Amino acid sequence: MTVTVSSSGSAAQSDIERQLVRDRGKEDRRGRIVGSLLAVAPFVMVVVIWWAIYTIFDPVPTKLVAPSKVVDAFFELIREGTLPAYITQSLGRLSIGVIIAIGVGVPLGWLLGLDKDVASSVEPMLRFFNAISGIAWLPLAIAWFGFTDRTITAVIIYTMIFPVIFNTMIGVRTVPTVLRDASRSLGSGWFRVIKDVYIPGSFPSVMTGLRLGIGFGWRALIAGEFIVGGGGLGFLIFNSRTAGLTERVMLGMIVLGAVWLLIDRLILRPIEEFTAARWGMVRL
Amino acid sequence: MTAGNAEAASAASATLTVNGLSHWFIDPQSGSTVHALDDINLAIQPGEFITVVGPSGCGKTTLLKILAGFLKPLAGEARVHGSLITKPGRDRGVVFQELAILPWRTVRRNIGHGLEIQKVPKDVRAKKVAELTDLVGLRGFEDHYPHQLSGGMKQRVAVARTWASDPEIILMDEPFAAVDAMTRQTLQEELIRLTVETKKTVFFITHSVEEAVFLGDRVIALAARPGRVKASVQVPVPREGRTWETMTHDPSMAACVEEVLGLVRGEHEATLASESHANADAEQAQET
Ligand SMILES: Nc1ncnc2c1ncn2[C@@H]1O[C@H](COP(=O)(O)OP(=O)(O)O)[C@@H](O)[C@H]1O
Ligand SMILES: [Mg+2]
Repeated sequence: MTVTVSSSGSAAQSDIERQLVRDRGKEDRRGRIVGSLLAVAPFVMVVVIWWAIYTIFDPVPTKLVAPSKVVDAFFELIREGTLPAYITQSLGRLSIGVIIAIGVGVPLGWLLGLDKDVASSVEPMLRFFNAISGIAWLPLAIAWFGFTDRTITAVIIYTMIFPVIFNTMIGVRTVPTVLRDASRSLGSGWFRVIKDVYIPGSFPSVMTGLRLGIGFGWRALIAGEFIVGGGGLGFLIFNSRTAGLTERVMLGMIVLGAVWLLIDRLILRPIEEFTAARWGMVRL
Repeated sequence: MTAGNAEAASAASATLTVNGLSHWFIDPQSGSTVHALDDINLAIQPGEFITVVGPSGCGKTTLLKILAGFLKPLAGEARVHGSLITKPGRDRGVVFQELAILPWRTVRRNIGHGLEIQKVPKDVRAKKVAELTDLVGLRGFEDHYPHQLSGGMKQRVAVARTWASDPEIILMDEPFAAVDAMTRQTLQEELIRLTVETKKTVFFITHSVEEAVFLGDRVIALAARPGRVKASVQVPVPREGRTWETMTHDPSMAACVEEVLGLVRGEHEATLASESHANADAEQAQET
């Protein structure tokens, strides 16, 4: 084809559109810097309030300790090596949960998303079990597996898998059929339709399920470690309370939140920014 | 039914044929039957540019979906080069009313998607995509994602994508409806030039009578409820070299627009009447 290009009208319009697109990029960058500053400020405030309450009420150490004591405990446990070990243990358990929730939950979600008949027969049961929290299974799980890692792992997997299944199903179901039709008209077979349309189309929703699942799993993990014991951040918090070491209890709590923030900022968000946000399918 | 006889006579050499095609839907809420298409007969010749006009809801999109192979007609048949249409194929490119470009592909990768599917080598693909990007005025936007584009720009991506994979037949469903007037005229003129040059067979749906007459060799006016072929109007001026400039000064084109407008306007009134006076429906059917 040797066709030369269009009227001055549409060229001028393109320039305006180009400028708009560029401005939008600039705003994004400026917003991000201001955003991170704004995100740190509330944390500073919480510490200040904590410190103020501590100074004004001067509570007994079993109720509240000063921020500085928690900082001391942090360095102490790092030196001892227990904190890194507990974090590693908890994260290890969470990772097993993630791997199995993805390995089993995503294919199941796909099946339910693609086959309406299977979905309508299985969905009520899934919703039923989803309502029974993983923690409610702890007594039975302990009876079956004892006070072992297997009990904790079973509870985490149970907790994580439902949000992954449901969100994958919704993701697959809500891929517009016209996108599938368009690809088929371009000559795609089913394999390419899955690869080019359904996998990317459902991906943002799978990520949402995973984010929810990891969040729920992280909470269930702590509960499991409370009760089952055998190391981990939940064990740190529970065990320190029994020993009356409030600074370690609070340290454990802070680490829970901090580790989650790191998971979010270092893993989940970058993935979402690289996919759904770049595709304009969610606003982060 | 003289139009019908003409269709039948030319059916043997046709690229696309539609015989006694009917289709209906069951409305999921009321459970009543919606007759979308009723006994449609068409023959579209190789290299012919057919435009289809009709009131909204008269079954234009349904007919296109059947030709594309997304929908199986409940009665009658549609054929391409004599063989029954049962599924979509690369021989029939589609430009959808909903655009249907992939949000997770950049402009470049959307336009090149068909070529990628055909396993065209990367360098050839890049060259062809660059040509088409220029053609539709999207140079500089190759690495943008669809959500960063205006409606008109997305539309141009959709057209370029279909064009890139070089189908013999192109089915277009109101492709320029969302484009601003200036860009629309440019795209229409480009479309004429390209289709004359490449001798593609085109089935083009629009709700604009002027667009239908300007673009088409032949305009099919559809009647609503159920959708029927009301008339087939030959456009008096050859497509080669048509521009909006010359068209507005050509009395025979203006007359053609008037003729089709009359057909469609009458149809539109009939639709409104049947909506407001359900009882009058039977009477009208007897009259016509
Ligand atoms: N999937 C469907 N289910 C039920 N009714 C439908 C469906 N698709 C189209 N229809 C109905 O069939 C008629 C024709 O629709 P369509 O072909 O989209 O018309 P047009 O494109 O001419 O506006 C309309 O009354 C519409 O409501
Ligand atoms: Mg339509």
